[in-house]
Amino acid sequence: MEKVILIKYGELSTKKANINYFLAKLKDNILIALKDYDVKIEYDLGRMFIHTNDFSNVLKVIQNIFGIHEFCIAYLIKSIEFKEVTKNIINLLKETTFKTFKVETKRSNKKINNTSVELSKMLGGEILKNIPNLKVDVNNPDLLLNVEYRLNNTLIYYETLPGLGGYPVGTLGKGLLMLSGGIDSPVAGYLAIKRGVKLEAIYFESPPHTSNEAKNKVFKLSRKLALYNNDINVHIINFTAIQEAIYKNIPHEYLITIMRRMMYRISAIIANRRNCKVLINGESIGQVASQTLTSMSAINEAVKIPVIRPVACFDKLEIIEIAKQIDTYETSILPYEDCCTIFVPKHPVINPDLKKCLEYEKLIPYEELIYNAIKNHEIIKITKEEINEYSDLL
Amino acid sequence: MIYLDYSATTPIGFEVLDTYNRTSKDFFGNPNSLHELGTKARNLMNSATKQIAEIFNIQDTEITYTNGATASNNLALIGIAMKYHQKGKHIIVSKLEHPSIYAICDYLSSIGFEISYVNNDHEGLIDFDDLKNLIREDTILVSICAVNSETGVRQPLKMIRQIIKKENPNTIIHSDMTQGVGKVSVNLHDVDLATFTSHKIYGPKGIGLLYKNNNINITPILYGSGKSNILNPGTPPVPLIVAFSKALRLATVDLEKRERFVERLNQKIVDALSKYEGVMINKTKYSIPHILNISLRNIKSETFLHALEEYEVYLSTNTACSSGNTSTSIMAIYDDKVRASSTLRISLSHLTTTDEINKFINYFDQIYRKLSGLHNTNE
Repeated sequence: MEKVILIKYGELSTKKANINYFLAKLKDNILIALKDYDVKIEYDLGRMFIHTNDFSNVLKVIQNIFGIHEFCIAYLIKSIEFKEVTKNIINLLKETTFKTFKVETKRSNKKINNTSVELSKMLGGEILKNIPNLKVDVNNPDLLLNVEYRLNNTLIYYETLPGLGGYPVGTLGKGLLMLSGGIDSPVAGYLAIKRGVKLEAIYFESPPHTSNEAKNKVFKLSRKLALYNNDINVHIINFTAIQEAIYKNIPHEYLITIMRRMMYRISAIIANRRNCKVLINGESIGQVASQTLTSMSAINEAVKIPVIRPVACFDKLEIIEIAKQIDTYETSILPYEDCCTIFVPKHPVINPDLKKCLEYEKLIPYEELIYNAIKNHEIIKITKEEINEYSDLL
Repeated sequence: MIYLDYSATTPIGFEVLDTYNRTSKDFFGNPNSLHELGTKARNLMNSATKQIAEIFNIQDTEITYTNGATASNNLALIGIAMKYHQKGKHIIVSKLEHPSIYAICDYLSSIGFEISYVNNDHEGLIDFDDLKNLIREDTILVSICAVNSETGVRQPLKMIRQIIKKENPNTIIHSDMTQGVGKVSVNLHDVDLATFTSHKIYGPKGIGLLYKNNNINITPILYGSGKSNILNPGTPPVPLIVAFSKALRLATVDLEKRERFVERLNQKIVDALSKYEGVMINKTKYSIPHILNISLRNIKSETFLHALEEYEVYLSTNTACSSGNTSTSIMAIYDDKVRASSTLRISLSHLTTTDEINKFINYFDQIYRKLSGLHNTNE
């Protein structure tokens, strides 16, 4: 009998023709996430198995991988003989505490004569005979014993843990996340990763108006996303020249609208270069002046690339709940100025007029400014491992 | 040199000193400054604090740096007294505390607080019944050290906490853990406040800390500017903090293995010194092996100390902080004035070697033969 980790796919199994692609990607993602551990993976269309000796660490990593519906410790018995299987199961259950149980049998090996229901009953009877003081409870058992008769072996497990669900990262292509350092954009990124989108991120800085600490905060948030994304590339755009040009030349109620249009334009160009099919951001309907429907529409007009807004219809509290769950909240609320919080007009326009936007934009040489910003931009790869740069001192 | 005074202070660790030097040189920025040098220093300091919090299994916001154990004890006792004086003015301490606790209690007593001294049994253990009886509705604080500095007697703080909280859940518990940390395991969740200092664990002098559970409030005793901690305003000494953190990390690895080694050294000395009629071993079953206290029946301990000094052997008469007086701890445990008036404290470390102990035993023998009969402390 071999102890293994069993992975169940859930939503993935609805994929028909593509399922092999999804599973191969899931396997790759798991191997990358477990690169520090000695593991072997095998899978078929229904199940994936991880062979390892380091269960506690591997289980911890598995929790953060998308595309896994459920996972658990399971046991593979190299036999499909009822007697042999029963003997192994009883030995295993003797070391487990429970009072009531139920057996559920699956029989993918149709060569076995008994039906699944018969096998469950037979096994249940043997368990009752061999372990004292147990009862069968089919409605609410303490222990649900799953037994799967396969081609050459039998799989048993009784304690499953929920996985993160979603699709394996990368199966749906790449997206560029507009990451600001606030609460919403990391959550938006997380939700996009969940749907199989591999993220790159773009961050706009305006030194000296924004500090290095604000940038470090974004790196810290990126590290949290890197946990699910298998590392993340962060594009740093120096936005100072554009922001100052806007501030000097454009009517202040349109500052934010035009600034966002510039950010969208730059993001679209970077996305195109990096083969990202969509932009992703943390805009939430009505949250601030630039996030009214009219504003979103006026801003969105600057680009052709689709813009996905995963938290558009979430309440702030719902967003915060996810931020806490993915451990970005505490970092997000650190009080550093970012690009969107400096140069805030007293009365930003709530319903910007697109015609005015186009007219005002002509007041600055934005194409040249954008060209320069992109030319000098920096790409930093953020890994999930927290690098303690002070470890040699501590 | 044979150094047997590790409970007075320890030599700074080589790696710790290296950390101190490099931090002083490369991270000299003021952690309160906004610019990059300040940020660098602040980030390093925060990492150091985080490391300490992880070692103690506490929050980093529960740590206040001070300049040592005496300062931590002052902040704890006076801070609690000032904060809760309207709820009560009664404070309980043991008879086995560091002298600084008694000095603070004398001050608090002079401004209207009532101090009770809880008894201990002949093994040095806090008398639980006496403790129970002393706790009143207006008892705001109990302070009991984790390990007594003279005899090494270790108190069962978990049980003490249960007794105190059962009698009065509002009573706050402070423990001076200076002599415990780095020698035996300490659990900060047994207390609400705890005192530590760096120089007893091979760290630099001039830095200590007070652990204060986030659920407890205390009144600051220092006022000033600075953002890092309201209880200790001013510019944080980053190199000291980082070196302290490193020293703590190094001091808390292999605790049990080191303790077993020190226990063997301790037993070797006990076996050797028990042979002398004029030597009393002040060791109870609760003494940790790092501290071995003895009394000399007919020789002044100070004379003996100076005689050993001739051989470059260094140890203490009672504690370095209260030398010259009758030992309050020995008095509290043995209630024997002769025994309490001529004590020597041999304090050991995992750095002590068997060879050093053999030599010490040899020198001890020579001096003992020479001095016994010449002095009589009873005269």
